[in-house]
Amino acid sequence: MNMDGMEERGEDHVTIVPTGCCHDCGGRCVLRAHVKNGRIIRVETDVGNEPQIRACLRGRAYRQRVYHPDRLKYPMRRTGNRGDGKFERIGWDEALDEVAAKLKEIKNTYGNASILFLPGSGNQGMLHGPIPVGLMLQQFGGFTRFWGGVSYEGALFASMATYGTIRTGNSRDDLLNSRFIIMWGWNPANTIWDPETNLYLARAREKGIKIVSIDPRFTDSAAIFADQWIPIRPGTDAAMLIAMAYVVITENLYDKTFVDRFTVGFDKYRDYVLGIEDKEPKTPEWAESITTVPAGVIQDLAREYATQKPAALIAGWGPARTAMGEQYSRAANVLTAITGNIGINGGYAAGFMRAYSSREMKYIRPQDSGKQRDKSKGIPSSNPVEDGALPRKDSLYKLSGGTNSTSARMHYTKVYDAIIKGRSGGYPSDLKMAYIVASNCINQYPNTNYGVKALKTLDFVVVHEQFMTATAKFADILLPVNTFMERSDIAPPWLGSPYYIYLNKAIDSLYESKSDLEICRELSKRIDVPRGFFEMSEDDILRLFTSKREDIKDYDTMKRDGVLKIKLSEPIVSFKDQIRDPENNPFPTLSGKIEIDCDHLAEMKNARIPSIPKYLSHDEHYDAPKSAEYPLQLLTTHFKTRAHSTWHNIPWMQEIEPHAVWINSVDAENRGVKDGDMVDVFNDRGRIRIPAKVTERIMPGVVNVSQGAWYDPDEEGVDKGGCANVLTKDDKSPGGAVQVNSALVQVEPSPRE
Amino acid sequence: MSQIGFYFDQTRCTGCNTCSVACKDWYNIDAGPVNLMRVKVIERGKFPDLFAAHLICPCYHCSDPACVKACPAQAITRRDSDGIVVVDHEKCIGTEECPERCLKACPYDAPQFGPEADAKMVKCDLCLGRLTEGKKPICVEACPMMAIDVGPLDELKTKYAGSQEAEGFKYSKTCKPSVVFKPKTCTLKD
Repeated sequence: MNMDGMEERGEDHVTIVPTGCCHDCGGRCVLRAHVKNGRIIRVETDVGNEPQIRACLRGRAYRQRVYHPDRLKYPMRRTGNRGDGKFERIGWDEALDEVAAKLKEIKNTYGNASILFLPGSGNQGMLHGPIPVGLMLQQFGGFTRFWGGVSYEGALFASMATYGTIRTGNSRDDLLNSRFIIMWGWNPANTIWDPETNLYLARAREKGIKIVSIDPRFTDSAAIFADQWIPIRPGTDAAMLIAMAYVVITENLYDKTFVDRFTVGFDKYRDYVLGIEDKEPKTPEWAESITTVPAGVIQDLAREYATQKPAALIAGWGPARTAMGEQYSRAANVLTAITGNIGINGGYAAGFMRAYSSREMKYIRPQDSGKQRDKSKGIPSSNPVEDGALPRKDSLYKLSGGTNSTSARMHYTKVYDAIIKGRSGGYPSDLKMAYIVASNCINQYPNTNYGVKALKTLDFVVVHEQFMTATAKFADILLPVNTFMERSDIAPPWLGSPYYIYLNKAIDSLYESKSDLEICRELSKRIDVPRGFFEMSEDDILRLFTSKREDIKDYDTMKRDGVLKIKLSEPIVSFKDQIRDPENNPFPTLSGKIEIDCDHLAEMKNARIPSIPKYLSHDEHYDAPKSAEYPLQLLTTHFKTRAHSTWHNIPWMQEIEPHAVWINSVDAENRGVKDGDMVDVFNDRGRIRIPAKVTERIMPGVVNVSQGAWYDPDEEGVDKGGCANVLTKDDKSPGGAVQVNSALVQVEPSPRE
Repeated sequence: MSQIGFYFDQTRCTGCNTCSVACKDWYNIDAGPVNLMRVKVIERGKFPDLFAAHLICPCYHCSDPACVKACPAQAITRRDSDGIVVVDHEKCIGTEECPERCLKACPYDAPQFGPEADAKMVKCDLCLGRLTEGKKPICVEACPMMAIDVGPLDELKTKYAGSQEAEGFKYSKTCKPSVVFKPKTCTLKD
């Protein structure tokens, strides 16, 4: 092995380059690229010490992504109408000169706030993707951006409100210390949720620990790990959790000592649960009528969970991606609290569920606190456009963490509305150009058809991309970006795992593609941005970035091995210190305790964000008036062969499971639909045309179109690609959740062609 | 000789297909009809009483392989040293001359044929090349659930107390496939 971390395989001159897979799934996994004559001929995964960080099928298929014939090969300029996807080849100088000229012109004419920066999650390294572009644009005077994480915002908001932190998870090895595990809306068999999760769930099951899955679908996780599957009507999870609290409270199964010592607001919640507040006791029978889960099942689950201590309630993010999503997360958090399952081995606090993290574990040295000030008078930001902006009415601005502490004014779901309406619609600025990096926003933001309309109104759109995605088609200047195999980067752990992956560059950039950093190197010269950072090599920047992390002690060894596995002396258990020694370790909330009743929420005086968790309906709910016309509830889950829209175009992935709408046999029969038939799934927002997968594995009344398939409209605007967001609503929950799992639709057989 | 075979923990397999993709990458097989490591999905029941499991379908390297007998060109042989069933592509006469007799004979559909008119048979050879280098087959090394193993069949039987049956699999007494399972048990009532 030489110093570059590259291993020679003598006889056939194959070099093995340690790198890793780095897109936006729940992984970050070891890959070893076998390179011969400058070309990757195959990949392996972790063959090193336990625990191995083995790549899933997506990583194993990466060669087809790198060498896909549709890779963008050179810079291009739009020739047809925006969105038509017609382009001409141009040179890099011409492309960058044009981007620079537009940036300067728009800044000078309309100000920096008219520049919309849309960073996506398509690259998860520390260095590439949107990161250098954001730094460059900050130094250019700033930009307008959004707040709200589509994956997790409901869970994040609830985590902050309840615990004051997003670090609420335990490391996965601690699952083996549980006596009972609930996977609520959680399907790690497809979504990974840290590479070691599935193996630990299997081991827990083999140890005899009972596992229950609550999900509208009989997912791969439910089928393989769970002893019991409880189908539940989408968006009603809070009702079931509240009814479980009813059982726990009325049967005196709650942990009184824990509640007294570590929580505030139990009495208020109890009054709501028992119906003292609103004359509606939240009994299992009450919940049955809402959730479809039999009252007896709710009762048994509540008893089992409360008495089989320690028990882990893992509250997935999917049920929180709903129009009242934070109520589900809040209700889950509170159930873990009143049963005293927090801060102990084998328990689990639900919440946002981060476990290992340099930041939250304070391995990152604190930044200069000079910029910290009273946030009610304005929030400091390194983006000059936002610096000093007053906190949003709906943010938990007194707490630090997540997007609650950003000063961005526009929510993720409102980007398109803001483009169209600007200041006249109450948005912070009139937007003139979009700078889009590692984002397939047309595909992945809710209400695709509105997005199409919006992007057409801008003066200028620049996109960094690897493929001609639905979004790339909207570029005026389209810049070809290389893949992680063609550059170096570091992937930090996702939510909970103690490791880093060093992605060594395996091959030179293909065609004329460049890394995002290289593009910024060239562009920053042209827009007169201070160039210190952009003059640095990849290696120097990565050394600088990691120098702040005390858990990376030996950069060179990490680089050579391609992975740094950090040994934990014992499993991570969030809030262990708070429970062991509460005097010296208050919870980082305003009260210092777990907030069942949250004052910060009460101050908002918004009945849609109550200070205690409540079950609330909304206008895309199963019982909404709209359900008369659109009687089916749509889920837009993650697909096992994609990470969002990445990998959709990879043949090895497409042949495993074709994209289709899942529909129960009862609903299919009522509509004269047979397995494999082409159907239209539609509502007021749009129409998609894809095959039906008639299956027992989804409950009646619910259909599933996994998100990430590429939008491909025909002349009449019918999307034949089956992009789920053609149907989702561009709105948020009161706490900021992106409500992509709250959409009512109808299904009918497609017209014969 | 010591027959080499597969072990498969059906209780762990999530049906992710990582084994299958790793195999296609390692052997540079395009998307299409040739798949040396297929993953079968078994689904039973009616909502809400459901059961699902998965089964890996490589070549099970039978100790009395039907494909060997069926081949008109003696292109398929079972190695004396380890019982691995291999195909000699020089000898295989291809689909223009032969109506896929090996595939028709195999109870597990292991022989694979490409889309070309004169396709010759390909199938899992247990990663013979990797085994020679002292490595495990690529599927074994790929499986994120560590649900697959390969080794001398007697040792696998002892190590895993394996069964000859699994969901979606029927043991062929005439072919004697070299595979042991930890089967997933269907809990549905009839």
